[in-house]
Amino acid sequence: MNIANKILSDAILSAVPIMLAVLGGIFAYRANVLNIALEGMMLLASFFICFFTLSTGSYLLALILSVILSVAAGLIFSFFGITLKGNVIIVGLAINLFASALTAFILQVIGKSNLVIHDAFFSSYHIHIPLIDKTPIIGSILSNHTILTYLSYSSILFMWYLMYRTRFGVYVRVVGENEDAARAVGINTTAIKYWAIAIGAITSAFGGVSLAMDELGGLFTKDMTAGRGFIAIAAIFCGRGKPGPSALYAMVFGLARSLSLNLSIYAGSVARLFNAVPYVVIVIVLLGASIVKNRNNHQRGFYNE
Amino acid sequence: MTMFSSYHIAWNRRLKSIFFNSILPVLAAFFLGAIIILFVGENPISTYYQMLSLSLFHLDGILRTLHVAAPLILTGLAIAITFKANIFNMGVEGQALLGGFFAGIVGAQARNISPTLNVAFCLFVGIASGMAFAMIPAILKAFFHVNEMVVTLMLNYAASESLTFLSEGVFRDNAAGYVATPVIRKSAMFLKLGRGDLTAFFFISFSIFILMYFIMKYTKLGYEIIAIGKNSQFAEAIGARVHRKIIIIMLLSGGISGLAGAGWMQSERFRYTLNFSGSPGLGWDGMLISLLGAHDPIGVVIAALFYSALKVGMSKIELFTEVPREIVSVIQGLMILFLSVRYITYDARLRDIFRRESI
Repeated sequence: MNIANKILSDAILSAVPIMLAVLGGIFAYRANVLNIALEGMMLLASFFICFFTLSTGSYLLALILSVILSVAAGLIFSFFGITLKGNVIIVGLAINLFASALTAFILQVIGKSNLVIHDAFFSSYHIHIPLIDKTPIIGSILSNHTILTYLSYSSILFMWYLMYRTRFGVYVRVVGENEDAARAVGINTTAIKYWAIAIGAITSAFGGVSLAMDELGGLFTKDMTAGRGFIAIAAIFCGRGKPGPSALYAMVFGLARSLSLNLSIYAGSVARLFNAVPYVVIVIVLLGASIVKNRNNHQRGFYNE
Repeated sequence: MTMFSSYHIAWNRRLKSIFFNSILPVLAAFFLGAIIILFVGENPISTYYQMLSLSLFHLDGILRTLHVAAPLILTGLAIAITFKANIFNMGVEGQALLGGFFAGIVGAQARNISPTLNVAFCLFVGIASGMAFAMIPAILKAFFHVNEMVVTLMLNYAASESLTFLSEGVFRDNAAGYVATPVIRKSAMFLKLGRGDLTAFFFISFSIFILMYFIMKYTKLGYEIIAIGKNSQFAEAIGARVHRKIIIIMLLSGGISGLAGAGWMQSERFRYTLNFSGSPGLGWDGMLISLLGAHDPIGVVIAALFYSALKVGMSKIELFTEVPREIVSVIQGLMILFLSVRYITYDARLRDIFRRESI
């Protein structure tokens, strides 16, 4: 496999954790809750999938447990951020710190520097798509990925449906656009926000699982997510919470990560700068969006956005 | 008589607010921390006692606590000043990293000036880099109304990735067995005062606190900061030029953060490593400290000393118990979580404004 194919194939794989977090995170974004706890939820899931796979021996049980624990983190976030009306950024930060500290703490207690699963079932089980597999270039890029990878790409469609074709999706968008109006027509805005955050927690958990099991082949190291949750937020902001565009940005950022990974062999540490790309892109996108929004605003003095 | 009783009521309310918003969340975090310590099979009470005795019950511990508190006071103040104005500078971590990094790079070069001047020069470089980095979100917020929370959060990552790149490549000290920049010159280091860890940096930090206290309480700028925090439109209407004030506030905050990083470099680390700021980092510690101190300068100093004692005690706790030192980060996460909510308010109307403007 030549380097270009390898980069693209890796891009598809490294986009998966980001994209999963994005596809759930858009609901909180559209409900007007800035959920930076995606990072912590992802980290918790990637830890617990390894931890429980090792301790129970069952991948499926571990998967269920890590999703449950991630949702628990989401509920804590919702309780403090929405019910008690704390500053959601600070609550999210607390969850991230707590997730990072808790996983490091447990690693210390069990006396390991990282968790390694030697016979990772899911990571070794790659799917070969019948026709595409034989196609020269496309085959090596698109085929031969794991179940979770294909699941995440097909869930773009599912999330689009959930967002635009269901009552729940409409409610989420109404709550985000005008909370007072939503409350006036009898929507339980708190419940909608709880659900929106819970969806983000579930998909972030899958993202964490994909990161630990697929991308790294059954490995957990300290602070392994390394800002992927924040990249997901960047993608959500750039795609303005729309499933398609947001997922596309997730792929672009996956490509950036893949470039930084693969080019480091040739370019040395310069390739590392690609890691900073998503963060710079979001600042530029936010600036652009803001300029467009305020172009026809002639209000004098300062005002809040 | 009436004056006395209203004063009395105000104090009562204030104490109540301090109790519910600061002390109770901390106790709750320690309580949950105790449960976790029980799970490990250790006695939480003796662990906490051991921790305090390591940091507070003998001279070396106290000096170490003061020494560690020095950058924390600064990052706490840096966050407090912006939060007070309802601007959320989450970039203190990145600003401190940049300040520390460039102070370290400059400090590693030979310079033909007296040590005092050299130390001051490196500090100045740190302040300038922090300010320059804070300028980006400041301009975006003041003139383009871009959400400063998201921008500063993201720029932290951009900064830390870029600094990793720089310290792995251009500025790497190849003699070191790990990724690190060269050690700074002796003339750029803060000298230890006496036998403990304390350096002059603590006194610089403390004088910045006095300065900030003075600014917040007695100057026009301090008044305008609070006015902007309460209602930026109103502040604009009474003549505070909010655009310009936002930039000044962010620059002050960035400068103080840069100073924190530079001071930490010159008094403790002496070289930039990937773990320069520690875990979870000076800026995030500052966030906790500012929350704990209710964004008030005096509160910040008390919180910084308290948190520093916790950190110092915990860093050595592994020698005496089976409890991993990560327990301090666990407790910190819990504390930030519990402190993020204002359970009771000093002034109910203030709370409504805060609610409406928080996302």
